Amino acid sequence: MISTKVQMNFATFLLYTFSFFLLWEWLRPVEQLTDTGNLGVFLGFIILALILAFLNVPPLLKWLVKLVYILLQIQSIYYDGSILNVSWLGTFFTDVTRNLGLVWNGDFMGLSNPFRTLLFFILLWIMAYLIHYWILKTRRILVFFFMTILFITVLDTFTPYEGDGALVRSGIVGFSIMGMLTFYRLVERENIQLKNLPTRKWVVPLAIMIAGSAFIGYAAPKSEPIWPDPVPAFLINKNGDGGEGERRAGYGSDDSNLGGPFVGDGTVVFRAEMEQRHYWKVETKDHYTGKGWNVLVPDSFNENSFLDFSENSPIPITSFHSKDPEDTKSSTVFNQFDYGHIQYPHGVVKVETEELYLYRLSPLTERISAFRDLEPEAPSSYTVEYKVPSFQVETLQNGMPSKDEYYMNYILNNYTQLPENLPSSVRDLALEITEGKENWYDQVEAIENYFHSNGFVYDQVNVEVPEEGEDYVAQFLFETKRGYCDNFSTSMAVLLRTLDIPTRWVKGYTSGDYIRTLDSGNRMYEVTNNHAHSWVEVYFPEVGWVPFEPTKGFSNNIAFSSETNRVTPVDMEETQETTAPIPDPPELEEAGSSASFTDNISNQWKGKVGNFFKDQHKGIILLFAFIIGVGTYLTRGKWLPHYYIFIYKSKKEDKHFPSAYITLLSQLERFGLKRKSGQTLREYARVVDARLEGREMRVLTDRYEQFLYRGNLKDGTWSETKEMWEELMKKIVT
Amino acid sequence: MSTQINPAIERILDNIDKVMTGKRDVAELSLVALLSGGHVLLEDVPGVGKTMMVRALAKSISAELRRIQFTPDLLPSDVTGVSIYNPKEMEFEFRPGPIMGNIILADEINRTSPKTQSALLEGMEENSVTVDGVTHKLEKPFFVMATQNPIEYEGTYPLPEAQLDRFLLKMKMGYPTVHEEIEVLNRAQKVPPIEDLEPVVDLLELQKLQKEMMDVYVDPSIRRYIVNLTTETRSHPKVYLGVSPRGSIALMKTAQALAFSRGRDYVLPDDIQYLAPFVFSHRIILKSESRYEGLSTEDIVTEVLASVPVPIQRLVK
Repeated sequence: MISTKVQMNFATFLLYTFSFFLLWEWLRPVEQLTDTGNLGVFLGFIILALILAFLNVPPLLKWLVKLVYILLQIQSIYYDGSILNVSWLGTFFTDVTRNLGLVWNGDFMGLSNPFRTLLFFILLWIMAYLIHYWILKTRRILVFFFMTILFITVLDTFTPYEGDGALVRSGIVGFSIMGMLTFYRLVERENIQLKNLPTRKWVVPLAIMIAGSAFIGYAAPKSEPIWPDPVPAFLINKNGDGGEGERRAGYGSDDSNLGGPFVGDGTVVFRAEMEQRHYWKVETKDHYTGKGWNVLVPDSFNENSFLDFSENSPIPITSFHSKDPEDTKSSTVFNQFDYGHIQYPHGVVKVETEELYLYRLSPLTERISAFRDLEPEAPSSYTVEYKVPSFQVETLQNGMPSKDEYYMNYILNNYTQLPENLPSSVRDLALEITEGKENWYDQVEAIENYFHSNGFVYDQVNVEVPEEGEDYVAQFLFETKRGYCDNFSTSMAVLLRTLDIPTRWVKGYTSGDYIRTLDSGNRMYEVTNNHAHSWVEVYFPEVGWVPFEPTKGFSNNIAFSSETNRVTPVDMEETQETTAPIPDPPELEEAGSSASFTDNISNQWKGKVGNFFKDQHKGIILLFAFIIGVGTYLTRGKWLPHYYIFIYKSKKEDKHFPSAYITLLSQLERFGLKRKSGQTLREYARVVDARLEGREMRVLTDRYEQFLYRGNLKDGTWSETKEMWEELMKKIVT
Repeated sequence: MSTQINPAIERILDNIDKVMTGKRDVAELSLVALLSGGHVLLEDVPGVGKTMMVRALAKSISAELRRIQFTPDLLPSDVTGVSIYNPKEMEFEFRPGPIMGNIILADEINRTSPKTQSALLEGMEENSVTVDGVTHKLEKPFFVMATQNPIEYEGTYPLPEAQLDRFLLKMKMGYPTVHEEIEVLNRAQKVPPIEDLEPVVDLLELQKLQKEMMDVYVDPSIRRYIVNLTTETRSHPKVYLGVSPRGSIALMKTAQALAFSRGRDYVLPDDIQYLAPFVFSHRIILKSESRYEGLSTEDIVTEVLASVPVPIQRLVK
């Protein structure tokens, strides 16, 4: 065969298949990042081009087939009417000539879609040819492989495209191609005549090496990026406030359509100096629509209903009635973003700033907007004073629906609202969960705990948007069981409301990431958009609003104390890890000195590797079992004959002779002396004896023939032939 | 190998060897056919020793040899015999034809008309001939060794497939090797040794051998193997008509005879594989397109033998 022709064997086929996968990695992001549709058509073209190259189709025919394919596809995408009606060709060619003029003038934006498609096809054509050339002629693909990796990493970094899977895939595929091509290059350089890849000497080690390195790469811990992800910033610039479908982490005011995945966003919103960790509230919502939350504005509501106050005057919010009015603490906020509102802890009493600000509280949402010179503007830093929330469990348990007017009129009206079309299964579930719980507190606890098990998973990516007519809560509770804080908190609120327990939905931030401890003993935290959070507050008569945290992986840092068992308040240090919305790396204590830093890195590695082995122990055991299995299988020539000799050593009766003979046949086959199915035992014995330079096989076969074709086994056959059998077995140890 | 060739058979073969150079395999096969009560079709050009072999065989078993030279004008009565009016006795008297012998050499059987051919073939099948409504039993043993010129020769009446089926084995004699032919020349200088050949087995003994041969054991796995082979020829894509059940029987019987003559009391797949080309090749009709491809029935048999697995384990009962 001439060297320019493709050898049509399996290895070449594999090479082309791998190249197809590499090319595919180039097309995948195109679909996601541009508005290119009909990706299948282009994939089809690549497949066609590679198949034509593989099948050694004559060049002219190859060109013709590709050309016809391109024209057919362009016709079917852009032009109406039957394929047989060729009048569109005229239109197309005028279009192409016009577009060529545009290209000449540099007016690239004016190009028409059919022309762009044509250009894209030509690009793919060139790519496919190059691949073919690299594989076949130069036997080198590193450049292309490297470009692929570069392409994916750049896209991964600077666009929303997630290249993790693509990197792993193209890594495996690329190294496989390079491994095979290296072999062919060696073969060509040394002028060796070889038809196929030698499996044992090349393919198996190659596969093991690639699989092994992929595994290690996958298993090993990866350090966090050293600069923040630039994508969210790009997205903000591009889309303004939020896009369709995918949500962005962070604070937004429109919650009427919840659901769907969101992109993480590490942009810092504010830093806070806190005496004690706490969540930051921004506003609450009371009206559940079946898709999300909004605020029902009563008719009586007008401009005067807002409660205005200035700093140092008490904030007109009564969140709860504390038993210990003395226990107040304060936190200081340093804003990085101006959202026009301030965020405050539960139980806020007072807000202080250096400059003069006016505040306006919306009694419906408890949102506090800040104004300076009558223009909305949040202070760049302020200090909030708050009563530390602490609740007596007994009080909560004993509090029953009271008959006071405020409660009856306002609370029950507003905070037990549910949409009319809420599936009754939600209420059934609530009743089921709270079965046997007598008082509200126990019921609320039961529902809060329900989310901590029962198959719920915290996930920011694979989160579905409810379909038309589908309830957001019902979908999460019964179908997906997968979501983030909005799913958990909304579901808990709705479940409680079905039991007529007044509940509201709260939005804000978690306490953020620990930065350092200040000289004052206070701690500095950094709150990013990733820390945006939502939770639930339940109204207990005579107590007020009590926060609860249903979201899996988060913990409520509100202290519940009990007279009988006074253990709480919850230790803040312990809950640090779990309060962040995205699991943080273990915090670095005294992250200043370099020695402790490297210590930490190694600890981090150890921890991560340890965790990996803990999490994946089944997989690892399976993998080791697999490796051992493969190893034992590959070396079976060394131990299997001895094993059989050992097994048959103790067998004395003649009846074991036939099975011993059959075993010998299978071992001879393993040794490389394969008996053709049409070959008689006698002929085969001749071949075996000639190869092994003996006459044992003839004798054994003669006995076996008598057993098989005569139907009798002479007494003592096995004892007479055993030695020869062992002799043969020993000869075929490889 | 512990097994030895059957002594009686060995005597016959050695005896034939005295006059024939090489060709022991053809002699053995003829003997196999004789033992299993079948007939042999030799297809070869004249002058390679067909007649000599048959004569040597007949002499060795002290059988009567009749020879029919088939010509286009030969009549059926020339084969079977004819009833002639005897004026003395005032009745028809049957004058037996050459078919009334132990070993018949039917030379160039495809030179005569189908009518005459069928007279012989009927006798071969029925072991009797009917002349003028009277059935005459043939001699026992009755063994026909027919020869035919290769079919492509002009002036031949090819035997129909149904009649070819009557022959147990069809084989080729083939030219001797150089050394064998030199030996033939050496011997030809002297008096033809065939005249001095002594019988080594008498007819009674032969009949005993024929009976003993029937006791050779055929394992069920071997029977299955035979049937697998024949069914494979029937389903072969290049074959128009495969081997008939009569072919299966023929293969089993000859295999028994071969095993017997080689001194074994059981049949091996080797026997089957050795005999299959001789038993099968004239029982297979190729599709015309395969014939034009230059395939022969022997190729098909080789292919079938290679593809059908040899039994190497006990059948599960």
